[in-house]
Amino acid sequence: MTDPANAIRFILNDAEIALDTLPATQTLLDFLRLDRRLRGTKEGCAEGDCGACTVLVGRLTEAGLVYEPVNACIRFTGSLNATHVVTIEHLSVPNGPLHPVQQAMVDHHGSQCGFCTPGFVMALYALWMGTPQPSRTEVEKALQGNLCRCTGYAPIIRAAQAVAGEPGADPLVAHRQAMADRLAGLRNTDRIEVGSGKDRVIVPASVDDLADAYAENPGATIVAGATDVGLWVTKFMRDIGPLIFVSHLPELHRVSDADGVVTLGAAVSYREAEAALVARIPALSGLWNRIGGEQVRAMGTVGGNIANGSPIGDTPPPLIALGATVTLRRGQERRTLPLEDFFIAYGKQDRQQGEFVESVAVPHLPTGEHLGCYKIAKRREEDISSLLGAFRVKVEAGTVTSARIAFGGMAATPKRAKAVEAALVGQPWSEATVLAALPAFAEDFQPITDMRASAAYRLLVAQNLLRRFFAETQGRAERLVRQVA
Amino acid sequence: MDVSLKMDEPVAESLLDTTNQNIVSQPVDRVEGPLKVSGTARYSAEYKFPGLLHGVLVSAPMGKGRILKIDAGSIEKLPGIVTVITDYDTFLRNPAQGQDEEAPEQGVRDVSYFGQPVALVVGESFEAARHGAQRIALDMRPDEGRFDFAARKHMAEPKKRSRKAQGDLDAALAAAHATIDAIWTTPSQTSAAMEPHAGIAVWEDNKLTLYGSYQMLASDRLQLADALGLKPEQVRIVARYVGGGFGGKLGISAESVAAAVAAMRLNRPVRVVMTRQQVTEATVRRSNTEQRIRLGADAEGRLTAVAHETITANLDRSSFSEPASASTQFLYGGQARLFLNSIVRMDQLLSASMRAPGEAVGMLALECAMDELAETLGMDPVALRLRNIPARHPMDGLPFSSRSLAECLEIGARDFGWSDRDPRPAQRREGDWWIGVGMAAAARSNMLIKSSARVMLAPDGTAVVETDLTDIGTGSYTILAQITAELLGLPVSSVEVRLGDTDFPPSSGSGGSFGAASAGSSVYLACESLRQEIAEKLGIAPKDLVLTEGMARHGNVSRPLHEILSGPLTAIGTIEPGEMEEKFVQAGFGAHFCEVGVNAHSGEVRVRRMESTFAAGRILNEKTATSQCLGGMVFGIGAALTEDLMHDPRNGAIVNHDLAEYHVPVNADIPALKVRFLEERDEKANPLFAKGIGELGISGAGAAVANAIYNACGVRVRDYPITLDKLIEKLPPA
Repeated sequence: MTDPANAIRFILNDAEIALDTLPATQTLLDFLRLDRRLRGTKEGCAEGDCGACTVLVGRLTEAGLVYEPVNACIRFTGSLNATHVVTIEHLSVPNGPLHPVQQAMVDHHGSQCGFCTPGFVMALYALWMGTPQPSRTEVEKALQGNLCRCTGYAPIIRAAQAVAGEPGADPLVAHRQAMADRLAGLRNTDRIEVGSGKDRVIVPASVDDLADAYAENPGATIVAGATDVGLWVTKFMRDIGPLIFVSHLPELHRVSDADGVVTLGAAVSYREAEAALVARIPALSGLWNRIGGEQVRAMGTVGGNIANGSPIGDTPPPLIALGATVTLRRGQERRTLPLEDFFIAYGKQDRQQGEFVESVAVPHLPTGEHLGCYKIAKRREEDISSLLGAFRVKVEAGTVTSARIAFGGMAATPKRAKAVEAALVGQPWSEATVLAALPAFAEDFQPITDMRASAAYRLLVAQNLLRRFFAETQGRAERLVRQVA
Repeated sequence: MDVSLKMDEPVAESLLDTTNQNIVSQPVDRVEGPLKVSGTARYSAEYKFPGLLHGVLVSAPMGKGRILKIDAGSIEKLPGIVTVITDYDTFLRNPAQGQDEEAPEQGVRDVSYFGQPVALVVGESFEAARHGAQRIALDMRPDEGRFDFAARKHMAEPKKRSRKAQGDLDAALAAAHATIDAIWTTPSQTSAAMEPHAGIAVWEDNKLTLYGSYQMLASDRLQLADALGLKPEQVRIVARYVGGGFGGKLGISAESVAAAVAAMRLNRPVRVVMTRQQVTEATVRRSNTEQRIRLGADAEGRLTAVAHETITANLDRSSFSEPASASTQFLYGGQARLFLNSIVRMDQLLSASMRAPGEAVGMLALECAMDELAETLGMDPVALRLRNIPARHPMDGLPFSSRSLAECLEIGARDFGWSDRDPRPAQRREGDWWIGVGMAAAARSNMLIKSSARVMLAPDGTAVVETDLTDIGTGSYTILAQITAELLGLPVSSVEVRLGDTDFPPSSGSGGSFGAASAGSSVYLACESLRQEIAEKLGIAPKDLVLTEGMARHGNVSRPLHEILSGPLTAIGTIEPGEMEEKFVQAGFGAHFCEVGVNAHSGEVRVRRMESTFAAGRILNEKTATSQCLGGMVFGIGAALTEDLMHDPRNGAIVNHDLAEYHVPVNADIPALKVRFLEERDEKANPLFAKGIGELGISGAGAAVANAIYNACGVRVRDYPITLDKLIEKLPPA
């Protein structure tokens, strides 16, 4: 008999699930395919690259029940408490009429070999629920996290734009409130702890409880979006239990915008951050659109991107340029430090045992200052940066009065270009100043050669990005418009 | 009734031009589409059996050496482990090549490439087996491996019978007004079909059934039987839905043999699914190539010399070598000619056929060489190609069965607005982007492979088609339904097509762009025979019979099928290649036009638009054919810009063995693509008058991108893929 108070409880399509035993690192995909024999959701890569495993996860937010596309292959089952998991099987019944999204995919030949198809259908379903008549740009953004090797994508885009029908009649939309009520009843008011020893799932009841739980289990792994941690399991087979899940905690999803500072709770996803941060600092929008795909942006968190300390994380360079700070917590103790100081060395951050990232504070860009942010990668989307540069200058009466420049992919950590900054400050903001500052890059950075780019390429492009930034501040650079059907 | 046709003569008239049902060539929706969009199409790993066990392959963590011992005891006590299957002699060293009738090289005690499967851990669950496969102790003796192509290429040995020569090449080049002599390199590539290789083996009553993800079941069955020492009749392969192939699933590979050995030993069904990393490391790859092209032309731009020499890599004793000059041999004229393939022996993953083996990479070199030649001559690249279309095959003098290359070039250029192009590079700038255009021709040989199909027509006006052809996403289900519906006068919805089962008549399989035309012709012949039978029953000449809407009509008389047929009628049709392929050069042709932007600051390349025109005989379904071409063009863009399977020269490991780091194009890499088909019929090819289309789109596509890059920024990169780091240092001042 399942103890309802100490079980992971969620709704799978129509069925209520209560798991009082489960492997701590079991993925949602394995749960669906192996335990529930729901084989419509496919595994193409097991690391969140291809999107064949896309399902929807509905979760309660301050704005109500929100359905988001996620990669089931790297989402842990234990993180699903009080959610509604929707798979391809929920869209239509066998031999019954197809869902409008499915029908459009048939009509426009958006499916060939069919293996990526359920994932595309679910990604489009998520889009259509919120945006029944999407623009081409919206379609393309929604499909960034899905790979197809057959169709050349165009038929899928056409299908997305041709979906007939209004979402009002869709069961998920029509019954949103009832489902929200059901999920509210599944929320845990006490800590859930399933399993034992390392094979244990801990779902804290609050941030305070998280602080306690982490203090009690300093060897545990805190998991927010799992877009990185998921791969530790599916790709590197690491033993990372016990796991403490945090993405369900409302406090950690809080976004505030006050006194010139946007503060993001540690579990704020890229998607949630976009609304607050990109609206406030539009120069981030180009970068935000190139972080993973929609699934990764729905799951992955800014806090996690920071906490993992990767030298090629997408968000640290612009946040450092903006002067962001990070707040760490252990028990009831908190300390706040500049983000750039958090990164000490490769794989090493200034985070003591038992400390966790609680929030990130990002100051607004003061009026009149320039910010440019450039991600350079071999592939347009779904690719790790070869390098990523963020440039911020303040120009007063034609003279640079302050500069903050930070790079990813140029050193073992996200790092400021202090020599370049020094070469700019006090000088006129001119082509001559920019050219004179270029040699300083070699003082700041000695990048490595790897398969993403050579050291020489990185250094040269870092310099060129400063030139591009300057050109943009002069209105002389523009983004290339890709011609689309 | 069994009927067969050997293509020794042109087919005078195709029924498809006379039945007037307006079904063939129409953009009919994929018939299995509803199953695929609802996730209910069942792929190989998804069959359910009581007592099913899970196997995970153990990959050798070294690039070369010998396995001394696999210590099953080291994991025996882990929870859920059933056993460790080792069979050093039977396990495959590497997959079979497509259409082979025997097993590929077997024996895994010696490790020939990094990641070679050497054993199978069987567990009660996938997790248990995977855990065991990770933990098992291997006693190995690593040896020095051959991993560095650049250091070894001088040891390349000519491939037997690959040398073709005519005239005095050196003299022709010396006398030429303009010459090109350059080397292009292309990297290894992987098919990266979305469905990983997977199989379930069931051993029952001395018979093996394999639910496998394969493209060519008839030959796969022979390979598998041979590998296991079984008679072909003891082996059945089922592959109803295949999640993409692109050559990666032509021949049997390690997972199916391992699953079969385990199932036979344990007497329980065993499923083996490869991880994405294993698919990349232990199935097949397209070899990297080094291609030297020499062209000579007179002052009017007429080619006088054409040489295309290719070095590829492969394992010891594997004779396949990417035939990069396949289309070079017949695409353009020029009296003096030389073609040669050489193989470097490497301890790296087997090289085999990936989509358009030959043209896919050969045209990346040839069509860029033609662009360079046009520039040297001061000629328009389209005009240079038009001038060099040979009247007949330049070496053996054979005529072409059908060829609309000139029309593709001319119409494609017109539609694209090619005449607006500035031939001088680095002239057009939009913001910080250099903009340019480029073009390339496309050509891909057409083949016919022996193929059989059974068609049953029931009195109630329904039909069933059975053949072991697979549908790997190409549209086989749909096209065979259309042909049957057209010829038997039925709605498409009344035709049930059953594919992917060796219990059905053997077909060509899917590969080489020949599936639709070969299997489609066998269905055509079966339907033609059924029409004759109905005509006989009515006592009329077959040509007077009209079948439509489930009725048989002749003159003013119209009768429903159930009045004519007392029971189902069945016919098996078989098509075979014949003298037509010896008397005519058969190929599909096309032309690609492309516009790109190159970022002046970063060297990033963005394809802005690509428009391609093709002619490949009758187009059997405008939707599926268009998609095949779009998919091919995207492969071409990937080959030009992003796809690069990298071996570590120190230990032979594939560095980017997953979809995060092996960069297939994402949607945003792909701009508006336009596909146009020209009307064509090829009565020498087959009774459908159709030619293959699955690989034509890739041929030349990447070269059009490369040529556009040159036009945009003035940098020629002959080392594919053209990544930003190869452009940046040579870009004109930003």
